[in-house]
Amino acid sequence: MSVVTINGTTPIHRRGRRLSLRRRRQVAGFLFALPAIALVVGFIGVPIGQAVYYSFTEWNGLTSTWIGASAWTQAFHNSNLWTALQNNALLLLAVPFALGLPLLIAMLLHQRVVGWRIFRSIYFLPTAISWVVLGLVAERFFAYHGTLNSLIHAVGLTHVSTNMLGYESTALSALGITFVFTMIGTNTMLFLTGLATLDPSLEEAARIDGAGRWRIFRSITLPHLSRFIQLAFVMTVIALFSALFSLIFVMTGGGPGYATTTMEFLIYQTGFDQGAFGTAALYGLILFVLTAIVGVVQLRLIGSEE
Amino acid sequence: MADIDFDGVTKVYGDGPPAVDRLSLHIDDGEFMVLVGPSGCGKTTALRMLAGLEEISSGTLRIGGAVVNNTLPKDRDVAMVFQNYALYPHMSVAQNMGFALKIRGESKREIARKVEDAARILRLTEYLERRPKALSGGQRQRVAMGRAIVRSPQAFLMDEPLSNLDAKLRVEMRSEIARIQRLLSVATVYVTHDQVEAMTMGDRVAVLRDGQLQQVATPQDIYDRPANEFVAGFMGSPPMNLVPCQLRPGRSRVEVVVADQSIELPLGYADTHSLPEAGADVVLGVRPEDVLIADATGANVLKVRVERVEALGSEALVHLAWGEGGASSSRDARSRSFIAKVGPRVTFAPGDVVSVQVSPEHIHFFDAGTGISLRAGGR
Ligand SMILES: Nc1ncnc2c1ncn2[C@@H]1O[C@H](COP(=O)(O)OP(=O)(O)OP(=O)(O)O)[C@@H](O)[C@H]1O
Ligand SMILES: [Mg+2]
Repeated sequence: MSVVTINGTTPIHRRGRRLSLRRRRQVAGFLFALPAIALVVGFIGVPIGQAVYYSFTEWNGLTSTWIGASAWTQAFHNSNLWTALQNNALLLLAVPFALGLPLLIAMLLHQRVVGWRIFRSIYFLPTAISWVVLGLVAERFFAYHGTLNSLIHAVGLTHVSTNMLGYESTALSALGITFVFTMIGTNTMLFLTGLATLDPSLEEAARIDGAGRWRIFRSITLPHLSRFIQLAFVMTVIALFSALFSLIFVMTGGGPGYATTTMEFLIYQTGFDQGAFGTAALYGLILFVLTAIVGVVQLRLIGSEE
Repeated sequence: MADIDFDGVTKVYGDGPPAVDRLSLHIDDGEFMVLVGPSGCGKTTALRMLAGLEEISSGTLRIGGAVVNNTLPKDRDVAMVFQNYALYPHMSVAQNMGFALKIRGESKREIARKVEDAARILRLTEYLERRPKALSGGQRQRVAMGRAIVRSPQAFLMDEPLSNLDAKLRVEMRSEIARIQRLLSVATVYVTHDQVEAMTMGDRVAVLRDGQLQQVATPQDIYDRPANEFVAGFMGSPPMNLVPCQLRPGRSRVEVVVADQSIELPLGYADTHSLPEAGADVVLGVRPEDVLIADATGANVLKVRVERVEALGSEALVHLAWGEGGASSSRDARSRSFIAKVGPRVTFAPGDVVSVQVSPEHIHFFDAGTGISLRAGGR
């Protein structure tokens, strides 16, 4: 439709006060998000702000004294903080296993190996069990008179005995292994879901194109799963930083020494064992920043693929 | 390049009836073979067995003379175009097309050259760097074709490659695929349930029904000399009129009794057709375009009533019926009615009584029991 006015210019659309469609969508979106924003600010933003404040104080839970930036310099001179950070970093080595094993299991289940239904339930079972219970089971497993040694003796190695949780050198590994097992169920399910959304004709097309099993996995399955793997990675790392507490609490109590004290556990100890809530808040902020960095980097990676 | 030979190939899923039942079919090197049939007749199953995606229950399948019953898909050197195209979503068009060559270990330059050649044939050059997601349906279809042709395989297998396209694009791609196949001259098995594709694209057409091969012939032969009632009723749009009637061979001519009327055929008919003895029930078949609506009151006309007229622009379909019945849609009424395809702008209206004429050379007869054509020599 074209309208020509007498002087040859096109008529001006009378837009009046009406906003553009895009603008109106934004406004509507904001209004809908408002309750959620209020909740986030109220329950997350405000406590974070408080934590920042308390991190500059000495606070025993009742009275707080402002001590300023020296609270931070002192904290960084505390060797326990560095031990905890180091333990967290070492535990990151468990992440490849917490992703790789479930990927392998999911691939096998997806191939419909015999008994796949039963296996699927077995692998998913730990997900439905409290981590406290899993920790107790793991503690019994690794203990000197526990399942692991019974197994070792049963295969004939009667002179060998382990006590992984009893030594500083091995306790963290035992914790890492337990963590991997607690994550298997969730990650396997996640990968199975991903595999279920893979169009089977893609695999058939690749087979006709001459691809073998390994090539299909690398060129078809893995790229398809990449988003699921990224999600599993983020969830696993965050769980590692912020959900290990119950395992540590029932398995080692952070010891022997500080061998299994992670940032998370250090926060608990500092706050509730030593009553130094100001320092605990400070440690909490460090952990928060670390977790946030992982999350943001990951979001960037996912976003960059668009 | 090679020929393909199905020799009594059967596929049974579980304990169900055979999906493909003792299929014997030879496809020459360079030949374009179309498999048609109604939904569920086993076309896809036959194709998938040829591709190696489906185990063969019994029989022998050969490609280029070699038995391939137990050969893996990757060792058969056939290329397949899937109905949903099955393009690799995370690869560019060029990578999709070059995937098979990369696996084969060809050099980067060689792959690029072949992909560009194929892209030129398929007019995809400007899309080579795009992901499949950013292509239209027709472009995706061409990429799927491209993936097949860069490989210069022994055979092309295509499973309803045009069924996801709109009507106009389908017409375009129909001739496009036929052109490329002729250009490359590779044995091709093309599955479709669209009989226009079957008629226009294939060197030969194989009609399947319930897993069983009904007839293999050139498209025109299938149309002119259907081997049985099923093929007659399947090919053509609208399909052949099939009317139950009785034959009364006389001394000088053959009398055909339709309902309460009759027409007479020249006696020569008995030479070319193995007509049953007097009084036998047969099915008379006549293509809609061979039914002439005549004003004549002469011999050999049937008096029928116009039920409905469908104007299609370039032509009109006249639905005709005789006897009482009226416009009911029961099966009985269907066997009492038939369709004539005539020129556009007809002047008759529903309810008119007209005379129709069928020239004897256009009449087919089928056995009422088995449905097999009574034309002498079977096919
Ligand atoms: N995986 C399967 N398991 C069991 N039965 C199957 C399987 N695939 C196909 N069938 C059966 O085999 C028969 C032939 O199926 P097929 O897919 O070959 O038909 P089609 O001719 O390709 O039909 P369409 O035109 O609808 O694609 C059908 O009866 C179908 O139900
Ligand atoms: Mg099919």
